[in-house]
Amino acid sequence: METAELQDKIFAFCEAAKGKKKLKEKDIIKGVSAELSLEADVVKKAMRGMIDVGRLMYSYGGGASSVEIPSEEYLREKGMIP
Amino acid sequence: MKKYSTPLIDELEKGPWPSFVTEMKKAAKTNEMSNDAVGHLEKCYATKVGYWKHGGIVGVLGYGGGVIGRYSELGDEFPGVAHFHTVRINQPSGFYYTSAAMKEICDIWDKYGSGLTNVHGSTGDLVLLGTKTDALENIFAEYSSRGWDLGGSGSALRTPSCCLGPSRCEWSNYDTLDLCYALTQEFQDEIHRPMFSYKFKIKMSGCACDCVASIARADMSIIGTWKGDIRIDQAEVANYAKKGMDINAEIIGMCPTQCMSYDGKEIKINNAECNRCMHCITKMTKALRPGTERGATICIGSKAPIVVGSLLSWVIVPFIKVEEPYTEVKDLIRKIWEWWDDNAKPRERIGEVIEMKGMRSFLEGIGQEPIPQQIKEPRKDPFMFYTEEDMVGFKAKEAEEKKTGKYKF
Repeated sequence: METAELQDKIFAFCEAAKGKKKLKEKDIIKGVSAELSLEADVVKKAMRGMIDVGRLMYSYGGGASSVEIPSEEYLREKGMIP
Repeated sequence: MKKYSTPLIDELEKGPWPSFVTEMKKAAKTNEMSNDAVGHLEKCYATKVGYWKHGGIVGVLGYGGGVIGRYSELGDEFPGVAHFHTVRINQPSGFYYTSAAMKEICDIWDKYGSGLTNVHGSTGDLVLLGTKTDALENIFAEYSSRGWDLGGSGSALRTPSCCLGPSRCEWSNYDTLDLCYALTQEFQDEIHRPMFSYKFKIKMSGCACDCVASIARADMSIIGTWKGDIRIDQAEVANYAKKGMDINAEIIGMCPTQCMSYDGKEIKINNAECNRCMHCITKMTKALRPGTERGATICIGSKAPIVVGSLLSWVIVPFIKVEEPYTEVKDLIRKIWEWWDDNAKPRERIGEVIEMKGMRSFLEGIGQEPIPQQIKEPRKDPFMFYTEEDMVGFKAKEAEEKKTGKYKF
């Protein structure tokens, strides 16, 4: 599977959990690798690529961290959208 | 700049000891954020309400830690503290800085933040207190271009920290500074990209004096120790007695395992009973020294009370050689994380998971043999593990022995 396609699947996975569950990195890696029968490391690398360019982001609440889809406000703050 | 009346927090400047209020007021003379922080603090004391909000989505791109979001509910009244984020800078091993390095850190911080610092925070990081969201990327760019990096926060490996070890201490049983640096480099991903259920702290002490209090504050405590006998210089023992030390009262009577004796001339130690607490060695520095085969004890699970009560670390490896490239230590850490990750619910520290799942499950998970030194507390019976297979074998043997009439149970 191409990285871009995998990243779309990861994005869809995060979108499905939005508002329902705070996803840890490991939840995404385990969930997507099981769904697509891929190596965990492949999913991890693709997911981190998304975090590096702001397609996903780390969030923090109640002492625990999670991975989320960034808001427009966040992307504007980071200069990724005008 | 607005001048705040601060009768309540002025009380904290009285007395002969240093005052954080005095330091805040000094910073407030030239920094609007610090000035508002002073006014805000006075209001908190006056109303007995803390107006701070914590957490949220704040950080630098690609990193999941190192910045802790802080916001005030009173942003309109105190605009300087509407955003007041904390930045953690990874400290050097043993907290060694040059004056030039400190100046560099402070100059950048004065440019983008409140100028207030906390050196060091309890995690060990150099903590910079109070900046705005839009300054974060610039702060990170300036520090990282000069060789600094952010520390850990959130559900990540927190910045490893250590005592000053062999750089200044004769009792250090391994090179804490080098191990701390090696683990920091090895686990960069785990520090900057939160992947765990909750925080994980590693602290390294060179001996059981435990100057970084790793036994109580670190999920993984690596505490220097030795194998073999304490080295005794009896001539120096005699010197201590001659100079007036009451050896029986101050040393022998204070030994927690009562493994020492003194006949008025020589000290004798039953080393098999010694628990390496360091008391005698620290009191008689010239007469007693640790043994020559040195390494560390690895303990697991201490924490402050959040989900459940506070815990002290529990010995899992009584002695391990701590030598470059530290492969054994690194492998053990990875196995521990794997088991923790498989078993923890969100916000559960590893000590809590061990309490719930049991030490047996943990030891099996990380591939360690149960041994007598893994007792939870001194002078408590060691625990024993029986697997289902053990019980089947036990019952078969018991049945066989009953049949033959030769009871051994």
